[in-house]
Amino acid sequence: MISRALKEGFSGVGRHWAMSISSAIAVAITLTIISLFLIFTTHLQTFTKNVESSMEIAVLVDFDYESSEEEKRIEDSIKAIEGVKKVSFSTKEQEFNYYIEQYDDEETRAVFEPFRDDNPMHDAFYVEAVSGDQIRSVAEQIHAIEGVSDVNYGGQSTIDMVAAMINIRRFGGIFVLALSVLAIFLIQNTIKLTIYARQDEIDIMRNVGATNGFIRAPFVWEGIITGVLGSILPILLTIYGYKFAYNLVHGVMFSSMFKMIAPVPYIYYVSAVLLAIGILVGLIGSWMSVTRYLRETK
Amino acid sequence: MIECMNVYKRYPTGTNALYDINVKVEQGEFIYIIGPTGSGKSTLIKLLDGEEKATKGKVKVVGIDVGTLRHSQIPIYRRNIGVVFQDFRLLPTKTVFENISYALEVINMKKKMIRIRVNEIMDIVGLSDKGDAFPAELSGGQQQRVAIARAIANRPKVLIADEPTGNLDPGKSDEIMDLLERINEAYGTTILMVTHDLTLVNKHRKRTVVLEQGHIVADLAEGGYVRHDQ
Ligand SMILES: Nc1ncnc2c1ncn2[C@@H]1O[C@H](COP(=O)(O)OP(=O)(O)OP(=O)(O)O)[C@@H](O)[C@H]1O
Ligand SMILES: [Mg+2]
Repeated sequence: MISRALKEGFSGVGRHWAMSISSAIAVAITLTIISLFLIFTTHLQTFTKNVESSMEIAVLVDFDYESSEEEKRIEDSIKAIEGVKKVSFSTKEQEFNYYIEQYDDEETRAVFEPFRDDNPMHDAFYVEAVSGDQIRSVAEQIHAIEGVSDVNYGGQSTIDMVAAMINIRRFGGIFVLALSVLAIFLIQNTIKLTIYARQDEIDIMRNVGATNGFIRAPFVWEGIITGVLGSILPILLTIYGYKFAYNLVHGVMFSSMFKMIAPVPYIYYVSAVLLAIGILVGLIGSWMSVTRYLRETK
Repeated sequence: MIECMNVYKRYPTGTNALYDINVKVEQGEFIYIIGPTGSGKSTLIKLLDGEEKATKGKVKVVGIDVGTLRHSQIPIYRRNIGVVFQDFRLLPTKTVFENISYALEVINMKKKMIRIRVNEIMDIVGLSDKGDAFPAELSGGQQQRVAIARAIANRPKVLIADEPTGNLDPGKSDEIMDLLERINEAYGTTILMVTHDLTLVNKHRKRTVVLEQGHIVADLAEGGYVRHDQ
């Protein structure tokens, strides 16, 4: 049953090979663009994650609220805020050490040592937000807590950048979807032409009792085959292109925060997604085409 | 086997093709539908094979209420009936054998079974030696035999034919009639045949229903017909 449909699907592609090739090329172009976008957005995602996780809110405790009861209260209040992922505490001594350790040479460190007993640092909480775009609102709510003297975070420019990247990611998704719809449309048109070429045959099939599913199967396979053919080139381009780019820049772009994802198994995931989109696009396109025709057939 | 009860058909274009048709055909009967062009003969066939739905009334074939079938159920229903058309409707790219076996493949019959059945049927219609020929290599009469073979391949209880001899010369028409009569007798297949050919109707006498402008104007059990206006 399936073998019949598959065989006829292949011979359909063979019979209208010029048409099949042209729509496979159209699918290939679409998938190549989709591939670029997939790579772009997945990198943006890891980059955004890196930036987000490096963004902490430093909460300085007022000198008048350093008792353990007060600090417990402040910590609980912070944890109660929506969007807070993690809270850690650091004493003013730890803060002082951390500050001093920034300096490499002993001399400079020695300059600060006298201040150890009259510590100018605050006790501090370090807060991580669930996502980058929540940092500002979380910071503002923390600032309102009694006993918080100051709140610091990465700054507005970082937040704006993260928000922009989230938008680009969203836009990328819509773009990929739109391209897929375009590819479906292209395949649908090809299959429509092959259907019109076989109109008599379909009518006769229905006359002698072939169900819609039986009639549809070869055309759907034809669409799937076209989709698979169309995904071969983009997959090769993705695998070899990405490896090439990765080796070229040694996996690092712009700064250490923006690392390229290791090619293996990443490129195989991307390839699998491309193949899946190719198959799906072929399936949906041909399915719609035959169904539309069958509806008109008496 | 076939039953039309108060059947009306009006096409979306506004043409009234059939009015108050009442016909009952018993199992094993062989019946002609005759009438001038445009009288609604093909429309009746289309109501029977599910191509069109009656505007009013009920059409029952092999116990199935054809008018209530969904689009997707029509092919399944058609496995119960064989249909033959004036223009044969064979697949030009398939051989005689393949054209016949096709009708059995679509209903998922086993390959081995198909081979046996097709050979048997090619023998019945007298085309045993033409299995590998393509339709274009056959005469009109032979092509119609292939179409009949395809129609009866899965042994339907009912065979309906819309002017099966319409494109054939009188000698070939006679041969097709003989074949249909043999099928009718050998398998007890109920046959409803639309025709224009009064010579045929008068020679092979059978029950004859006469349509004129969408009305049944006569239902002659003993057959034979002479047009009034001649
Ligand atoms: N699909 C259709 N849409 C609209 N009108 C139709 C359709 N098919 C047939 N008709 C009309 O219905 C009437 C009956 O047509 P039908 O084809 O049933 O006649 P017929 O008896 O088979 O004629 P013929 O002997 O020429 O084949 C005619 O007036 C025809 O124009
Ligand atoms: Mg007609």
